Amino acid sequence: MSVTEQGLLERDKDTMTLNMGPQHPSTHGVFRVILEMDGEVVKTAEPEIGYLHTGIEKNCENKRYVHVIPMTDRLDYLNPPGNNLAFCLSTEKLLGIEIPERANALRVIMCELSRIASHLVWLGTHALDIGAMTVFLYCWREREMILDLNEEVSGVRMMTSYIRVGGVAKDATRPWLDGIRDFLDYFPAKVDEYERLLTRNPIWLDRTEGIGVFTREEAINWSLSGPALRASGVNWDIRKSQPYSGYDNYSFDVPIQTNGDIYDRYRVRVEEMRQSRAIIKQAMERLPGGDYKTPDNKVSLPARETLHTSMEALIHHFKLVSEGISVPKGETYVPIEGARGEVGFYIVSDGTNVPYRVKLRAPSFMAIPGMCKAMEGCYIADVVGIIGSIDIVMGEVDR
Amino acid sequence: MTSEEIVEKVKAGLADAIQDAVLPQGDAVIFVAPDCLQKVAAFLKDDPSLKFDYLSDIRGVDYLNEERDPRFEAVYQLYSIDHQHSIRVRVGIDEENPSVPTVSELWKGALYPEQELFDMFGIHIEGHPKNERLIMPKEWVGHPLRKDYPLTTETVTFSYNRDFKSELVKSKPPTR
Repeated sequence: MSVTEQGLLERDKDTMTLNMGPQHPSTHGVFRVILEMDGEVVKTAEPEIGYLHTGIEKNCENKRYVHVIPMTDRLDYLNPPGNNLAFCLSTEKLLGIEIPERANALRVIMCELSRIASHLVWLGTHALDIGAMTVFLYCWREREMILDLNEEVSGVRMMTSYIRVGGVAKDATRPWLDGIRDFLDYFPAKVDEYERLLTRNPIWLDRTEGIGVFTREEAINWSLSGPALRASGVNWDIRKSQPYSGYDNYSFDVPIQTNGDIYDRYRVRVEEMRQSRAIIKQAMERLPGGDYKTPDNKVSLPARETLHTSMEALIHHFKLVSEGISVPKGETYVPIEGARGEVGFYIVSDGTNVPYRVKLRAPSFMAIPGMCKAMEGCYIADVVGIIGSIDIVMGEVDR
Repeated sequence: MTSEEIVEKVKAGLADAIQDAVLPQGDAVIFVAPDCLQKVAAFLKDDPSLKFDYLSDIRGVDYLNEERDPRFEAVYQLYSIDHQHSIRVRVGIDEENPSVPTVSELWKGALYPEQELFDMFGIHIEGHPKNERLIMPKEWVGHPLRKDYPLTTETVTFSYNRDFKSELVKSKPPTR
């Protein structure tokens, strides 16, 4: 008779509750997960969120449309232009205005640059979690260059608020465009360098292959999106399926992998960086001339020099600054492909200059329950790998 | 399918269950009563030509200022990965005992947004495994995104800061 049969050792109850976070560096913010451990194996993982809740959605209901844009920067703080764009597209759909071609191209350049920057942060920290220190330093080096470019065009390194309702905040400058050209020439070799460090590294493969697996059906059912969904073999990129800002004019590939494990999510994101570079290159080559924001002065400020000569411009300027944009009554939702997946703002307008309700569809928020489900049955050491591979940003989870 | 075709298809398949179907700015939007939600959701997911297998998001809206009846609304955004079309399902919820059935059996991704719906609007989710707060602390009173919940500052429960003001008063030389 074995020890278990005698009831001397009740293995089922021999578990340990382990608290991870909210201050754990590998939880990428203030994410807390309570793990029920059986030895080294995770039995259940219970997520706990809300530590970074700042009431942004409630605040948005008390701010004018223009004032909401800087708040959207702070939601997904690694990809601020994506959030700006999602909010502006929803507002513009309600307003029913057309955006000039140049503004669209500038938006695409900005969003793709920030997608690269966001993936660099992800790759650096994810590799650091698993134990590869050098990649982190390399990724930070390239990200600094993108932040410098952000500063050149918008004056701010991270929270750019560059994309505004009706276009963009400022026109492209010569040093910015030159800087992007230099970066595009410099960057591909660096992606190859990261891949040389990781892609066929046996330690990296051991830690990532076959861990945290989502099948195609599971990934869809758990509402994963973006690179995490595409690593499970789902061919869905909003830039292709529901094109916005002229993405249908660019030729680029959507990287797909089929195993749905940590390694495939890594492969998808690294390839996405290359594709983003290709999109920026095309946008730079055919950057159209013309306005960088809509000429409709009910939405965007008139040019500074016209204020001295045109009474109408002066009135528009005064009304826009003192009252803001009035958006027609209605409700709408425009999804975009952010760095982490589907981002979109559901906006309800009551016809005034203040949104009645603003709701962010945050890819990280939607992915958390599925992510914790994937932890069950894994070793404790893989928990940080799974969190890193889904790439959560707590700013948009807690809002 | 285009939005018009989706609306036509849903109208034909669920004539008795949906209240209204509209096309604002080209989006397919249907209005459903809470007691029909699960039936409608199952139809939308299982019908082969619709096949809304992906739940994008669930949001709550409080229409208190609009003086609309019913006061609350839960809005479900669905997407079909295969057919690449989307639909919005708007469910009006009464002010008295606000409650809506769960759809988390169909889409597991609904678990979190439904819990948030309860947290932020106090809408009870029937059949949800966890009817408790998600983002706000467990002991929080009220539902912050309701329109009658004021936007105020939070009172500081405790502080380790020294009370400089009272010390100043103490250290002041007595006046004659």
